[in-house]
Amino acid sequence: MQSKLSDIELIEQTLGGNQAAYADLVKRHQRFVFTLAMRFAKSREDAEEIAQDCFIKAYRSLSSFQQQSKFSTWLYSIVYTTAMTFLRKKRLDTSSIDDENVYLQIENQHGSFENNLAEKQSQSFYVNQAISQLLPDDATIITLFYSGEQSLEEIAAALGMEANTVKVKLFRARQRLKEKLEKLLKHEAKELI
Amino acid sequence: MNSIEENLWNYIDGTCTPDEQQAISMLIETDEVYRRQYEELLALNLEFSNIELEEPPMAFTYRVMEAIRAEEAMVPLKAAINKNLIRGLFGVFAFIIVAITAYALFTINWNAGSTATANFSLPQVKLPVNLPPAKNLLSSAPVLKAFIFFDVVFGLFFLDAYLRKQRTAKQF
Repeated sequence: MQSKLSDIELIEQTLGGNQAAYADLVKRHQRFVFTLAMRFAKSREDAEEIAQDCFIKAYRSLSSFQQQSKFSTWLYSIVYTTAMTFLRKKRLDTSSIDDENVYLQIENQHGSFENNLAEKQSQSFYVNQAISQLLPDDATIITLFYSGEQSLEEIAAALGMEANTVKVKLFRARQRLKEKLEKLLKHEAKELI
Repeated sequence: MNSIEENLWNYIDGTCTPDEQQAISMLIETDEVYRRQYEELLALNLEFSNIELEEPPMAFTYRVMEAIRAEEAMVPLKAAINKNLIRGLFGVFAFIIVAITAYALFTINWNAGSTATANFSLPQVKLPVNLPPAKNLLSSAPVLKAFIFFDVVFGLFFLDAYLRKQRTAKQF
């Protein structure tokens, strides 16, 4: 069962030496942090590594959290920088083995695509599929705005951008998501016919 | 100038000014194109709001907490040693060295060297084999080259280790 204490109260308890309080904070935010990590990593193993790294980094620098923003906003900024570093590293390590992995991932996705017929019917499945086809930046902004309950200003703080830039990026990300969604649905309709 | 779609998204998000909001609201009521696009975007907005969050593995929290515990247990030796203890030991040894040196200086008979005649000679040591003179050994080309080669390899090895450390430190 998750704690009913606020994030700030849990942080204070953690700083006082209560590690169980930090475990509660992790439980509270892990789904969202993991989802954000998935927007960058695409594989569950890598996303888990990123998410775990984020929570460890957050624990290390918890005393430097000034409480000028929501804890979630601060945490998401850590997720963003950690994920970007991960992507940079990944790009450096690119090799033919990676290409093979991508092929296997696509094959696996195709397999699960056919197996999950019930899930296929739900609208949110297509939205998630379309989001996974977006660029990491677009997918992150969409996820933060719709699932993270973050305002444009909070997203800007988390990503280290101007609020106006985020507004423009959100608009473009929505347009791209709409296009991807339309393509996906058209493809599905063709398959059914 | 903003497109219809951009205006409508601003209207849906509530990020436009009250005047703009009123104007767009009027357009939705009167303009068929506006109304259709507004309904379409509203439906999309609802769909986007239903994004499902990914579920991390069951043991995720446990793994994070274990990693934190392991990290805390591995406090570097540098941080674990009490600095006052080091300072205390340094003080004790410095005091002993200074005290011995001072005692030695005070107890030396500075006139002994000028009055007494030295009656001391180095013992004769005979080596069992005839070794080549050290000068010749060092000046021989293969030995010198091997020595320089070894030094260069050793130097490059340490330079590589130093640069790797610098790069790792920059990454974190």
